[in-house]
Amino acid sequence: MNESIIIWILLFPLFGAAAALFGKIFKVAERFFSLVSVFSFTGPVIVLAQLCLPVMEGKVFSYALGGWPAPYGINLMVDGFAWVSSALISLLIPLIALFALGNRKYGAQFFFCVMLLTTGMYCVVLTGDLFTMFVGFEIIAISVYILIAYEGTSIGLIASFKYLILSTTGIFFFLFGIFLIYRELGVLSIPDISILLKSEGGIRNTYSIHLALAFLCVGISVRTAFIPFHTWLPEAHAYAPHPVSALLSGVLIKISFFALVRIVLQFGGTYMSEFLLWVGGLTAISAVIGALSQSDAKRLLAYHSISQMGYILAVFGAGSPIALTASFFHAFNHALFKSLLFLTVGTAVGVSGFRNIYKISSLWHKIPFFGLSFFIGALSICGIPPFNGFASKVYITSGMAGSPAYGLLWITSFLTIASFVKLSRIYLPGNRAEQGRSQRILTLVSEYLPGKVETIVVGVLAFLCLGSGIFGVQIAGFLHQMLYHSALNYTLPLFRVEKLLSVLPAILLGIAAFRIVTSSRGKAISSWIKALSPDMHSVMILFFIGLLSFASIAYLR
Amino acid sequence: MLIGTIFLVGLWGIMNKANIFKKVIALSIANSGIILLFIYYGSISGETAPIEGTLKNMVDPLPQALMLTTIVVGICVIALSLVLVYRLYVEFKTLDIRVIEKKARKLHE
Repeated sequence: MNESIIIWILLFPLFGAAAALFGKIFKVAERFFSLVSVFSFTGPVIVLAQLCLPVMEGKVFSYALGGWPAPYGINLMVDGFAWVSSALISLLIPLIALFALGNRKYGAQFFFCVMLLTTGMYCVVLTGDLFTMFVGFEIIAISVYILIAYEGTSIGLIASFKYLILSTTGIFFFLFGIFLIYRELGVLSIPDISILLKSEGGIRNTYSIHLALAFLCVGISVRTAFIPFHTWLPEAHAYAPHPVSALLSGVLIKISFFALVRIVLQFGGTYMSEFLLWVGGLTAISAVIGALSQSDAKRLLAYHSISQMGYILAVFGAGSPIALTASFFHAFNHALFKSLLFLTVGTAVGVSGFRNIYKISSLWHKIPFFGLSFFIGALSICGIPPFNGFASKVYITSGMAGSPAYGLLWITSFLTIASFVKLSRIYLPGNRAEQGRSQRILTLVSEYLPGKVETIVVGVLAFLCLGSGIFGVQIAGFLHQMLYHSALNYTLPLFRVEKLLSVLPAILLGIAAFRIVTSSRGKAISSWIKALSPDMHSVMILFFIGLLSFASIAYLR
Repeated sequence: MLIGTIFLVGLWGIMNKANIFKKVIALSIANSGIILLFIYYGSISGETAPIEGTLKNMVDPLPQALMLTTIVVGICVIALSLVLVYRLYVEFKTLDIRVIEKKARKLHE
């Protein structure tokens, strides 16, 4: 097969962005050009479908851009990793972009940014060298800053500015890591670095290589939002436009996580696993406590994104053979259900005009289909069978078997249930008296009422959540085949009685935790936690604490 | 040594200045620090500019190529952040991040 087709994965979204710009010039045909830019996703989909079978057998495609050979030129690679991550991009972004297209609020400018973002993401996952990864991250970052501030609200502007300062500082350290690696080894291509590190035992153990690895990890971790670096995420995700929140939390943080996994594995950073395991566990539990105390619907979801990333990181850190598959499987599932949740909750917020969950209620009667989809998403994230959260949590359990950090994740799982009981009141009918009161307040904003396209998109996402739950074993097997090029040698029976029963105590504890949180003392504690939200100065202090801890792990090793 | 100082001054500015405009300037300074670091390291290996034909005794061309890209990316980021600073100033009539955050929190509640 001709390997030059890889370049079309990058070029099609770029052409799509150009098409969207035409829509900006010719205002009459704005929607037509937006549609064209969304449909430019067919290119990557076709190319990826062609590459699917050979990649599964373990073949690695690489294409040198401009004809310069590997150690000095820029080359694109498609291996199992890159295939899985770009498949995630090309599955979710078209759906979310279609949702935005159905909502007539977003013009051609919006789609230009989205397509640029997509190009950046493909660039990050397909690239074979570190510097191109940096460029990809910056393309992503610039379009994300614009998208977060797209609505022009004052809080959106602040969130965007905070993210800009934090992630640019992070990327400086990424560059510094690149510098250290270039100084030690003289190459930047990831496979070459990996070969050099593994062949010569002498080079590999110098401090500057470990420091470089720590700095690269810090630069990416800012984008992935682990605990000391998470501070930008709640505001940025909560005040972005709804499709953008879905996109950021569904796809973007996964892509930077995949880049992190690739760097840690290729550069022999296995000594970091233990550290990452605990960072993941702590992230999961502290973010879910943050989520429980929120009363802002989208902010609550944003905290859940951090918490679920903690799950994904922790199981990656556990390091058993099934762990990487479990972590990718959960990343995939989280992308599906979190986009679904952000779209449905975003629609609820838009329709009612309130962000506070205590002011929205009984939207079930107004938009029943979105209510149903919301509950599918909520059940998925809580890990209730037969939805996909359950399937990947079973894999996580077996991936982390015997690890002490599993306790943290178990507590997180029932706190998750508690916070979704709290959130689900926006669609559930409340009690009669309250309902009468809310009916008077609730005047629907018709601009946000979902149209046909949006309904279809949400339906597809809900269907995928259910489907990947029922066929969980097959999908995990497929991912394992992609990553390790060998069949998953033990398959877990998903729907056995004792597995199903193991969910019950979590549900009971979750409801109990919900009662505690809504009691008066619980409310006092929540408002105290809410007031803790960090300001700019403490954001930077937390960043440097994280940086120092990564550097000291590399130093102590 | 000097390069390290430039980078650290930039980081200190990003962290400690309350004025958002000064934060952006500090960002630019730190960026220059990184760029100088690469260029300096590349220049150790030779003396003449890497132009086609001068094969002998030339500096390492790769860091220069990389830094050209970094400069462009840096300019984009700085330009965008200046737009954000301007919008924040129009919105809040101040450049002090502490005041801005206090006002925003009040607005949110």
